[in-house]
Amino acid sequence: MKENLFNRDEMAKAWEGFIPGKWSEGIDVRDFIQKNYNPYYGDASFLEGPTENTTSLWNKVDEMIQTEVRNKTINVDLERFSGIDNFEPGYIEADKEVVVGLQTDEPLKRIMNPYGGFRMLKNALDAYGLEMDPELEAKFTEYRKTHNQGVFDAYTTEMRKVRTVGLLTGLPDAYGRGRIIGDYRRVALYGTNYLKEMRMRDKENLTGPATEDTIRLREEFSEQIRALDEMTSMAAKYGFDISRPARNAQEAVQWLYFGYLAAIKENNGAAMSLGRNTAFLDIYIERDLKRGLIDERQAQELIDQLVIKLRLVRHLRTPEYDQLFAGDPTWVTEAIGGMSLDGRPQVTKTAFRFLHTLTNLGTSPEPNMTVLWSDDLPRDFKEYCAYMSIKTDSIQYENDDLMRPIYGDDYAIACCVSAMRVGKDMQFFGARANLAKALLYAINGGRDEIRSDKETGEPMLVLPGIEMNTQEVLDYDTVLDNFKKVMDKLAEIYVNTMNTIHYMHDKYAYEAGQMALHDPFVHRYIAFGIAGLSIVADSLSAIKYAKVKPIRNEHGIAVDFEVEGTFPRYGNDDDRADEIAIKVNEYFMEALRKHPAYRNAEHTLSLLTITSNVVYGKKTGATPDGRKKGEPFAPGANPMNGADTMGALASLNSVAKLPYKKVNQDGISNTFTIVPSALGKNLEEQVTNLTNILNGYFNRGAFHVNVNVLDRELLIDAMENPEKYPNLTIRVSGYAVRFNQLSREHQLDVINRTFHEAV
Amino acid sequence: MQGYVHSIETMGLVDGPGTRTIFFLQGCPLRCAYCHNPDTQKRVGGQLMTPEEIVRTASRYRTYYGEEGGVTFSGGEPLLQGKFVYQTLKLLKAEGYNTCIDTSGFGNPQYYPLIMPLVDTLILDVKAFDQQSFKDLTFIDGFEIYIDFLKNLDHYGFDGQIWVRHVMVPGLTDSKEAMERFVRILRPIRNKVDRIEILPYHTSGVQKYQELGIPYRLEGVEPMDKDRAKELEIYANKLFAEDLRKERAEQEQRRIEKFRQLKEHEVASPDEKAEMFEILRGLPLLSDVDEEDVEAVLSEVIVANIKAGELVFKTGDAPDFMYLIYEGQMKIFVNTMDGEEQIFYIYRDGDFVGGLNLLVQTPYRYIGQALTDCKVVVIPKYTFDKYFWDSPVVLRSVLVKSFERIRWAEELIQRLSTSNASMKTAGLLLKLVKRLGVETDDGIRLELSMSREELGNYSGLRRETITRKLGEFKELGYIELEGSRVIIVKDLEALESYVM
Repeated sequence: MKENLFNRDEMAKAWEGFIPGKWSEGIDVRDFIQKNYNPYYGDASFLEGPTENTTSLWNKVDEMIQTEVRNKTINVDLERFSGIDNFEPGYIEADKEVVVGLQTDEPLKRIMNPYGGFRMLKNALDAYGLEMDPELEAKFTEYRKTHNQGVFDAYTTEMRKVRTVGLLTGLPDAYGRGRIIGDYRRVALYGTNYLKEMRMRDKENLTGPATEDTIRLREEFSEQIRALDEMTSMAAKYGFDISRPARNAQEAVQWLYFGYLAAIKENNGAAMSLGRNTAFLDIYIERDLKRGLIDERQAQELIDQLVIKLRLVRHLRTPEYDQLFAGDPTWVTEAIGGMSLDGRPQVTKTAFRFLHTLTNLGTSPEPNMTVLWSDDLPRDFKEYCAYMSIKTDSIQYENDDLMRPIYGDDYAIACCVSAMRVGKDMQFFGARANLAKALLYAINGGRDEIRSDKETGEPMLVLPGIEMNTQEVLDYDTVLDNFKKVMDKLAEIYVNTMNTIHYMHDKYAYEAGQMALHDPFVHRYIAFGIAGLSIVADSLSAIKYAKVKPIRNEHGIAVDFEVEGTFPRYGNDDDRADEIAIKVNEYFMEALRKHPAYRNAEHTLSLLTITSNVVYGKKTGATPDGRKKGEPFAPGANPMNGADTMGALASLNSVAKLPYKKVNQDGISNTFTIVPSALGKNLEEQVTNLTNILNGYFNRGAFHVNVNVLDRELLIDAMENPEKYPNLTIRVSGYAVRFNQLSREHQLDVINRTFHEAV
Repeated sequence: MQGYVHSIETMGLVDGPGTRTIFFLQGCPLRCAYCHNPDTQKRVGGQLMTPEEIVRTASRYRTYYGEEGGVTFSGGEPLLQGKFVYQTLKLLKAEGYNTCIDTSGFGNPQYYPLIMPLVDTLILDVKAFDQQSFKDLTFIDGFEIYIDFLKNLDHYGFDGQIWVRHVMVPGLTDSKEAMERFVRILRPIRNKVDRIEILPYHTSGVQKYQELGIPYRLEGVEPMDKDRAKELEIYANKLFAEDLRKERAEQEQRRIEKFRQLKEHEVASPDEKAEMFEILRGLPLLSDVDEEDVEAVLSEVIVANIKAGELVFKTGDAPDFMYLIYEGQMKIFVNTMDGEEQIFYIYRDGDFVGGLNLLVQTPYRYIGQALTDCKVVVIPKYTFDKYFWDSPVVLRSVLVKSFERIRWAEELIQRLSTSNASMKTAGLLLKLVKRLGVETDDGIRLELSMSREELGNYSGLRRETITRKLGEFKELGYIELEGSRVIIVKDLEALESYVM
């Protein structure tokens, strides 16, 4: 047998002091964490402020970010395309950095990634008045085909149609799909040589008939092996040898970051999340602290500086993309906390340190801090999170007690709310279907309420075979029957469209670097989504409990609705309305499941709109709940603005009823905004109250909540005087944004949403 | 049985402690000029709900309540639907809910004795501080009724805490002088007052009057300046604390008076006392008194002759004395709400009573009455503290003797203790000042090694309660907080007022 790539002595040296286990015999990061981490039950009093170097670096970076936001100009490397090892090293100020590495050779200089779609790239450059190296363009377009071209080669007419009218929106058919989390910890724990050796063995062992699946997998393994070499070479340019494991905390942070850096040099996925790293890093930090190699200030410095790097992540987007996903988000999501299966909290001092960066560096939308909440988390940690929410509006919470039984205790969150086991699961991301529009199709015989056929001038027929409703007063059963038919048809097209997209994405824009940091055989989810659920629930409730009369145009299309009488609305903890939301959800999930997915992926479904609720609103006619044409949807699973009459907890309870497991298992997003004076008389009461609200909500079985504690007046002032609030951060659906980066339309949408106030 | 519920607020965070589900009940006899819910004044309206439905609704929010939260009845005037509120409270209490009533004191008095024992927190709206202003503001000549309500709360069996609230309207009560009258009104309930809040008058309710077509009587009155209201709130709290301090002084006066009275009952000569004492030293309680202290102890204790039927101590007496029965029988009892006498114990020769009270500093919560002519050895608190306090034998004796009473005593102490959260928190802070206070230019700095949880345990308060109280003290300017581990005491005197 030939010699190993890796060196056992190197590993023994790096692992000195760690308790061995399965992890030291093969790749098993979870086992390493479980055997070696120590939960921290105390409060935040141990935390230290930033070092001078950190502050100096951050001030410099912050100024650059502010300039970018203010001037709406960007810097792009126009000479080369994306790739793990395609860029020279870059620094902010090398002698002050304890963690190094940038996407390109300068901070905030963006990468051109042509593989998702070349036109998308061109449009983005055009929008900023930039031009790529003409030779590069000529060569690429001559010799290379992109993901986007592949998809459109294989799209059917009906797929294009549902896309055009906006029944399906935000599909990743022209940009990177993202939502893949490499297990970046593996780079630190094992070094790239060991990972490479293991993958080579995986490839050797993959024998048997050369079916399409096997051939593809072998090719992918080879790509992954090359990616590991590129990673090693990229780090070497910064002067680090990541082929061996990390020996101390600084190296662990650095190695892990190199793993992530490779991912964001290679890909421009919508969401490029970081994973779940605090307990892992804490083990290295604790070991160094014990050895007297570092003190608390230096430990914090490592985390602060890692976070500075994460705040610098940028991708090149078109203005249309930014319109859909307001605020240039990158979803560098870090999952913090949660419980271990043995009942110990996965809260370490480094969990505190990570959140503490919001104090040391000031608030910021990225990284996307996601606290995995469990009833059993230590109270001090819960209160610290609540305190940081009140101070920064930068944290989202997700229910570990719901996810742990499904994913175990080493899962992380991709994007906003998508759970996956780190290094074991991946996801085929698939945006969402506009069910509010679909409901109108059930009334309008499968025709679009806004678009007309270019040739005939008649309303565009998108889903044939649905009977046109001509009732003076809408009958619930009739509408529901037709709605189910619409959902059946839509589900079929949706699955087929997604299969096409991800087939082509694998083919033309494969994420070799990230997949190299996964197990060889991964479990795949295919994630569908719903937008407009609250509108559907309210509309069906109106039809069922009140009298809804459509107002039809000359083509018989219902363009508006008259509602007589009252009806229960989703968001009041009223089962009559909430049940409708649940039933629709379940039905659509079942309809999707009937159609097999590419690579045997497991179907999941989310209730998440990001900020696209505004765009969805624009593309959807008036609805039977009384919403006018063009008005925004509620974000995610939120009840409609003003629908709740029983106060905030009733609204939270309604959302908490939505079924996570097996139905909305790709996440249920809810945004909760409360004015400080309503939360309690003083900060101490506010912390207690917010902690109890979070506890209460998650103990009702809820999945997710964004928390904002702010006054509407503050946002109005920030809209009028942006210079006064350069870093004002707020949580929107599933992520945080710098308020100043939102378009005025989005700012108004946020301001008009429900703020829970004192009665 | 059904009640008229105007509306429900599921997230009440400022109406009573913790997270609360608020049921706004229909109907109010007052017509307050500034009422911002005029639509709740009519007795009939809203939706009809049964007590069971209320409990069922509350149960959906129970997970949010934390340690202090629960159900609040507001209005309207919730006490107006007395029977409904009583039935509902009974159900809520049976299931262990924390309860709160937000009242102006104008309800259905026949239900007060039934309702009040079931209330944990009373939010008491003080409308005005004299008869004329009360009438002008509310249209009801009810100031005396209101004051009676306050005075009788104890009799109704109310044993919770009280949050006092006053809506301050510019030109009516926004003066220090008004605050002085305000605090005077609170005297009958001061041992139960946990929080005093001034709510600045605002005009956001005016629109409802237009919608309802009712003239608005405060037309043209500006909203109350929030900073000024805060200032006066702090002033009122300070006055209140001073008032408490005065009361403590009065208590001391009463102790001296009682000592004088007991002294009058003194029957034994020094020699007889010495003889009795020798016999009593066979009891563990006295066995550990040092030989050289005997004389001093003898000079301080009183041997009183109590005639059958005479009261030795009564409910509410300060823990100033303990009693050792030398001869005769004494019964220990309380008068229950329906006038029955509930006897707990009959004590005989050699029994003692009040040891625990001295130890834990709680007033007597029951009545001691001589059943037969008795000779009782009265041990003053200072004697106890001086000679007995540090004796393990005595302490053990008190504890062992009290063992069978401890279970109910604990419950009683917890339920009936007049030491409210403010006092406990202030007491704790003072203890900490003594132990670890460092004088600085900013005040007395306390660097704690304890978390909030431990602070709570130490002071007998829940974590959420102590957190809330620290927040309040901060607002009142008594202390400042730096992170979770540093407290700076800014106003030692104010804290002392609570516990003198």
